[in-house]
Amino acid sequence: MSTHPRTIAVGFDGSPDAIGACSWAMATGRYLDAHLVLVHARGLLDRYERRDPRGLLGGVVADLAARHAFDPTRLSWHVGDGDACSVLLRCGAAPVFADLVVVGSRGRDEHAGMLIGSTSLQLAERSPIPVVIVPSATSAPY
Amino acid sequence: MLITNEVPDDSGHEDPGHPERPDRLVAVRDGLSDLGLGDELVTIPARSATRLELLRVHQGAYLDELGAFCYEGGGDIDEDTYATYDSWPLAQLAAGAGLAVVDELTRRGTGVGFVAVRPPGHHALADRAMGFCLLNNVAVTAAALRAAGERVLVVDWDVHHGNGTQSIFWNDPDVLYVSTHQWPLFPGSGVPSEVGGLAAIDGIVNLPLPAGATGDVVARALEEVAAPVIDAFAPTWVLISAGFDGHRDDPMADFALSSGDFAHLATWAAGLAPAPGRLAVFLEGGYDLGALRHSVAATLSAVLGDATASEAPTNGGPGADQIGRTQRERASTLTLVMEQRAAEEAS
Repeated sequence: MSTHPRTIAVGFDGSPDAIGACSWAMATGRYLDAHLVLVHARGLLDRYERRDPRGLLGGVVADLAARHAFDPTRLSWHVGDGDACSVLLRCGAAPVFADLVVVGSRGRDEHAGMLIGSTSLQLAERSPIPVVIVPSATSAPY
Repeated sequence: MLITNEVPDDSGHEDPGHPERPDRLVAVRDGLSDLGLGDELVTIPARSATRLELLRVHQGAYLDELGAFCYEGGGDIDEDTYATYDSWPLAQLAAGAGLAVVDELTRRGTGVGFVAVRPPGHHALADRAMGFCLLNNVAVTAAALRAAGERVLVVDWDVHHGNGTQSIFWNDPDVLYVSTHQWPLFPGSGVPSEVGGLAAIDGIVNLPLPAGATGDVVARALEEVAAPVIDAFAPTWVLISAGFDGHRDDPMADFALSSGDFAHLATWAAGLAPAPGRLAVFLEGGYDLGALRHSVAATLSAVLGDATASEAPTNGGPGADQIGRTQRERASTLTLVMEQRAAEEAS
């Protein structure tokens, strides 16, 4: 095993917390010269309506990469069927083979009020690879 | 004889453009009519599940939260799942329908039950709505039967894994959950190594199959992997989570099943019921209205022992090699889990 992550998976649903997580992963990935995989969980309606997150969120990712001077050729997408937690839990295995998974504290469907959403919490409990939970920009300092 | 529930006016649980829509039950009713059952069709009044009946599978805080959310007008619960002002009473009726049908089957000691309800239920967790599902209808009925001392087999052939039902009965030795489903696919659970908790080892049988799977492969997976576990479990009741979104025309997934395959699966499942009046079919998914209508008719015809014309069964699709991998993965996991249980008992 390498001493530092070569492939970083970041949960990306376009929410403000996911953008924060992606920013952290790009800054860290650039420093570590790591490959970054944007992981998107495809739900029932995503499939029914044939939504492609790369088309819907590609512009946001390109802006983030430019802001963090992250080489876009080191970026790729993985769209997995399932809820966010189950898709992110599989990131250590094929086809992503991540050494580290990065998520925001709350996903798009998780309401404010709790410091950490259920997806991040379950991931931290059950992930076979290290997990980084990036605090929300709106989290109160304590 | 087919015993089914009276379908309430469910038009209030609708989100324009959403595939889980009231027209689904219109298609189901049309499928029932196609059978021309006459006096052999018994329709019983709908009733709501009580809070105590729901509490066997759902957390009280979740029931309170869902009810309050609906009374405030509802909205999107998550990316897939919605609720409206009317969804709470309709979900309670959907959860109660199975209870009423099973009560009637028990009273008569004969017949087959058909629970025609929406919203569907098998993704609903103890504390969370998910995947179009608000309350876990089949689990509410299974839990009631279990509380009455029965041993309940749930066969789930919806194309999506019933993560909610699996989770609710994960550690329950009196409920056996068997699922065939496309994998990978939403909700992402349902791998063979999920075999049940330490108190209910081998209480879960997951049979994931690839996109394009045909009826022969689904049937073979059930026969080769699930049948021995079911024999050992010896159920006293059989409930079917009958989703029809594995039909080749359904837009939600990529199985290649025909209505004739559902008839074949239904015949197989009906053969597992230990006595007359101990089999009930619950509607789960199915979003192509034509496929839903014909698949419901084929399924119910089969469980009634009739042979109404349906599409020809399918065969030759992928997935046969997956069955062997499933057997091996289950066997190695069962060994590990039993060792873990022995170690815990020893300590």
